[in-house]
Amino acid sequence: MEFLSALSPLFFLLIVFGVLVGIIFGSIPGMTATMAVAVCLPLTYALDLTNGLALLLGLYVGGITGGLVPAVLLKIPGTPSSITTTFDGYPMAQRGEGERALKIGIVASLFGGVFSAIILFLFAPILSDFAIKFSYIEKFLIIFLALTVIASLSGNMLMGIFSGVLGVWLSLIGTYSITDGGNGELRLMFDFMVPYLESGFSLLPVLIGLFGLGTVFIEAEQGVKKEVSSQSLRMSDQVRFSMSVFRGKLVNLLRSSSIGTFVGMLPGIGGSAASVLAYTQEKNFSRDPSQMGKGAPQGLVASESANNSLTGGALIPLLSLGIPGDSTTAILIGAFTLQGIQVGPLFIGDNLDTWYTMVFALLVANFVMFAIMFFAIKHIAKVVAVPKYILYPVIIMMCVVGAYAINYGIMFDVWTLFIFGVFGYVAHKVGIEIPPLIIGFILGSSAEIYFVKSLESYGNFMIFFTKSPIAVFLWVLIFMSIAFSIYLNIKSRRKRSDEVETQT
Amino acid sequence: MSFFDITIPFDQSHLFFPRIITWLLCGLFVLVVIQNARPIISKYRSGGMTELLDLEGFHKFKFFGTVALVVVYFIMMDVVGGWFPNMGFGFLFVSMPFICLMGLMYVHEITRRTLTTIVIVSLASPLLAWFVLARLFHITLP
Repeated sequence: MEFLSALSPLFFLLIVFGVLVGIIFGSIPGMTATMAVAVCLPLTYALDLTNGLALLLGLYVGGITGGLVPAVLLKIPGTPSSITTTFDGYPMAQRGEGERALKIGIVASLFGGVFSAIILFLFAPILSDFAIKFSYIEKFLIIFLALTVIASLSGNMLMGIFSGVLGVWLSLIGTYSITDGGNGELRLMFDFMVPYLESGFSLLPVLIGLFGLGTVFIEAEQGVKKEVSSQSLRMSDQVRFSMSVFRGKLVNLLRSSSIGTFVGMLPGIGGSAASVLAYTQEKNFSRDPSQMGKGAPQGLVASESANNSLTGGALIPLLSLGIPGDSTTAILIGAFTLQGIQVGPLFIGDNLDTWYTMVFALLVANFVMFAIMFFAIKHIAKVVAVPKYILYPVIIMMCVVGAYAINYGIMFDVWTLFIFGVFGYVAHKVGIEIPPLIIGFILGSSAEIYFVKSLESYGNFMIFFTKSPIAVFLWVLIFMSIAFSIYLNIKSRRKRSDEVETQT
Repeated sequence: MSFFDITIPFDQSHLFFPRIITWLLCGLFVLVVIQNARPIISKYRSGGMTELLDLEGFHKFKFFGTVALVVVYFIMMDVVGGWFPNMGFGFLFVSMPFICLMGLMYVHEITRRTLTTIVIVSLASPLLAWFVLARLFHITLP
């Protein structure tokens, strides 16, 4: 408990501030937790790691939870992970149970968040201990496995693979770094690009561009829809909230939180997958699924506990393997790098205090989120009506600060923001999937080093299969994930053809 | 030497992995095009580019206006920043008109109330960001 003595009041204040701003971002449709973290990143430049993490984790938890407000009140998921919250939350709001629905969601969110923080605390060190033994070959296979999993669970498998490989390709632009054992030569660029791209694209301007500026471009194309008036929110509390609604729902809470944590661990899989999976499982196992979709609290519980348990789950591969579990944790990698800390198998052992602080901050953030949302939900709900003509210009301004300051004043980083903002818009139009792309971009250069160095040392491709039992085990997992994706593909095709047959 | 043996000359090692990835990417691109050729063609035939890229309800003014404003914002910030090096004034003085113009472009109805809000926000938010980040936290701004 030594780490507790190092925490200042600022640490707690930053968590409260982070959670509050996160909730605001999550509550406004079109703005996500990832965007909240990306936009507020410059504020951490002047903070030390502990306080920076307090702010970012607060934003993360607040952003994921905030999504339930418009999902319940307007039938618009504030973040993609609250899509299933609309199924039962909105019918409840229409029946005049808006406040009750929100409070059920908030309690379920708290349960999911705390559950996943505990799993993170127990599981990440074990995985790190295991991963320390990995050589370059196993490390390469882990990245390969991560990319296969992303592709296999993408909406469109081929597009998922293409997006991931495109991310890897983008990460290779620049110098083959001497510090990593490369030969210092440039590749994948024309001569005129050398002054700008010698070290490749910086991670954070790329992420801020994709999630900040890219989102604004998409909204601008759709005409920046008019915000709803606060009078139209159905916040009445004709049926009062009582904790008795959770009676008999412990299994649902545990199952959904476990699903959320597990899906969070899989790299690049969005929160929507977690909540959809938890929701369908509740439908399958529930004694009375007939009311689900018509305003059943059990649907809300499943959806909200699953999406909040993503937070701890997504941090597990980040802190033990250096692989981000989702887009938001990908930005956290940038924040760590900024503080000179490399996340990976050695992180927990080398930075024990930071590790305890992180888990503590995550727990505190969840309780702060609960306190703010549970007791002030009536006021928070009004955030849904904040006009976008005010928010978007300010967001672009903050994106500029984040990109410009990251390398202490490089204007090209601001242009990187623009390039990837436009790219994010185009990707949205042509169906390129952003999460696999980001994971590929983050892991690409490490994958290259592990791959090339292994071949330089052993001089034989077969070493990837024969190096160790762990390598064989990883290949089994890779083949299993490919087989699973093919199974999913065939299943969805069959379902589609059945639907066509029944229509005709 | 077996089929699986490989030697990577050090002076060419920077191209080994990128070549594999580039070929893989090209192959995947061809597969994506083949897989989507039929729906792309049928969409294009039925409604041209509008149908293909889902551009129905495309707000030209707001979209291109945003792109143009952002480009001018970035250029001018650098120019003005060059006049007052290391002060962050490029950011401060260019963000104000940018936020104001963008707010006016996005607002659905210009009334005295919305106009006042936009003007106040466009003056106050860059000032606050500049003061907190550049003055208090000493973060580099253009």
